[in-house]
Amino acid sequence: MSELPIPSPSPDSAAREVADHLLPSAGPALIQVRGVGKTYFRGKEPTAVLKNLDLQVPQGAFEALMGPSGSGKSTLLNLIAGLDRPSSGSIVVAGADLTHLSDSALAKWRARTIGFIFQTYNLMPVLTAQENVELPLLLTSLPAKERRRRAQTALRVVGLADRMSHYPRQLSGGQEQRVAIARAIVNDPMLLVADEPTGDLDRQSADEILTLLLTLNRDLKKTIIMVTHDPAAAARASRTRRLDKGALI
Amino acid sequence: MNLVGVSVKNVGRNKLRTLLTVLGIAVAVVAFVLLRTVLNAWTVGADFAAKDRIGTRNKVTFIMPLPKRYLETIRSVPGVVDSCYASWFGGKDPNHEREFFASMAVQTQTFFSVFDEIVVAPADKERWLGDRKGALVGDVLARKLGWKVGDKVTLTGSIYPGDWQFQIDGIYGATRKVVDRSSFFFHWDYLNESLPEGARQRDQIGWVTSRIKDPGRAADISQAIDKIFDDQEIQTLSMSERAMNMSFLGMLSTVLKAIDIISLVILAIMMLILGNTIAMGARERTREFGVMRAIGFLPHHIAISVLAESLAVGALGGCLGLFLAYPLVQGGMGRWLEENMGSFFPYFHIAETTALAAVGLALLLALIAGLLPAYRASRLHVIESLRRVG
Repeated sequence: MSELPIPSPSPDSAAREVADHLLPSAGPALIQVRGVGKTYFRGKEPTAVLKNLDLQVPQGAFEALMGPSGSGKSTLLNLIAGLDRPSSGSIVVAGADLTHLSDSALAKWRARTIGFIFQTYNLMPVLTAQENVELPLLLTSLPAKERRRRAQTALRVVGLADRMSHYPRQLSGGQEQRVAIARAIVNDPMLLVADEPTGDLDRQSADEILTLLLTLNRDLKKTIIMVTHDPAAAARASRTRRLDKGALI
Repeated sequence: MNLVGVSVKNVGRNKLRTLLTVLGIAVAVVAFVLLRTVLNAWTVGADFAAKDRIGTRNKVTFIMPLPKRYLETIRSVPGVVDSCYASWFGGKDPNHEREFFASMAVQTQTFFSVFDEIVVAPADKERWLGDRKGALVGDVLARKLGWKVGDKVTLTGSIYPGDWQFQIDGIYGATRKVVDRSSFFFHWDYLNESLPEGARQRDQIGWVTSRIKDPGRAADISQAIDKIFDDQEIQTLSMSERAMNMSFLGMLSTVLKAIDIISLVILAIMMLILGNTIAMGARERTREFGVMRAIGFLPHHIAISVLAESLAVGALGGCLGLFLAYPLVQGGMGRWLEENMGSFFPYFHIAETTALAAVGLALLLALIAGLLPAYRASRLHVIESLRRVG
């Protein structure tokens, strides 16, 4: 797994200082969620999805978030990934206080820090596997040759060295999800967020994807937060947290 | 691979839709090129008119005649080298009733010195000048109607009723492309002498064309000619050949303006077709835009992506349209028009400016068509985009 050309960046000193302060015994906390609430409005009707939620996830963890539909799992995941903003409270991830970042700073932070894995893979059908993986690197100043090399390395990491020039329609569901994982790790992010990554897969493919995530966590030290409905998937994580009605139980 | 490259690849996502849109744009470009070429062909005669020639006609309207005696007065104006009068005959070949061609009775003695772009074999020229019933016809007209030197032809007159007998004495070509090679010239004397004594049209001419020494003095000489006839019963209006051609076109100005507007309306329709396609494509890619925004792309990246796709489709359509326009408009239709309607379209070719304008406007309108979909795509909320199905 040392093939990935970019070494994992460690949290900067400010982030480590905060993490040490918050979690002196459990190692540095990569994610700190404090008193977070999220309320959506349907017309003038408020709906509280998350209520005064506190959460700390240490660096290098592989955690599963479970709960019934509407419990706030995906909302929490989106807040941690910097895709949405909380209505109250604060979220600090990898030393960055997301609540104070501008939209454009948040986008740049996501590009550096977060790898996304979606339930439906969300690959671009007009791009090959290699081009799909290369997509996040278009935001960097890397030369084209280096971008290609890194995309190929990421595909090798997920076991798709022989499928680089295949289009998504030429791949199985499990292979598509592997390409999506390669796209998620190509920038060497600190945190992988996975929203039902095995939700569309058969049991065997799901097991392979979970094994791959476990490998990324164990060998490449990626911190992983995974939303899932599947107890078997949650069982592969080192810790499972449960949400119900917007609160951790 | 770069962001623009990704956008261009998206053009091939829905091949049928893209193909139909590109064809729609191409047809619009062909129609635009055709209409602009019609406009150009109509005005090209005026643009390429001889600079050292002026025309004199009845001040009221060019369909009213002038007395023949005016010729000598005009010829005596300082700066005028030579003059030639002519009358519109309006004849038709009864064997080819539907073929239109210009037929004119001209003063043969000065014809070649005033219209020096007319080229005819010396023997034919000599024969025509000496044959009172002789006719000189353009090579395009002769080819179309199957006439050759020595043929006897009969024209039926509309302005001068009756059947008129002629012998084809010569076939002319031209040194310049814009000269109508579908005209029928014959002796004005033959026409005049055939009219009964005392007939209203006798000794009347349609207009006088004069060659002048200094093209820069065309306006002064025109003024000088008109001034002479100011106190006469019939006043004249003189102007450069170009201005005269333009005044003739002025009568068609409403038609020309309508063609102009239609050509722009066609482009506007093209823009709407393209805008609709781009908007549909952008809507279908909402989730992808959500993914791009999630992994760090900024709103302006999304806008560039949509605009690049729109420009790519516009460029494809514009280039295909131009590729089709040359054989269709210039090759097939242009040749047919030059041969069959040479009086109106002596030189029917696509101008470089028209070709450039067609592609340039296709790109510009593609850019405009993509603006609204690009703006809307760039404003999408990440979470909402990722939730969107289909």
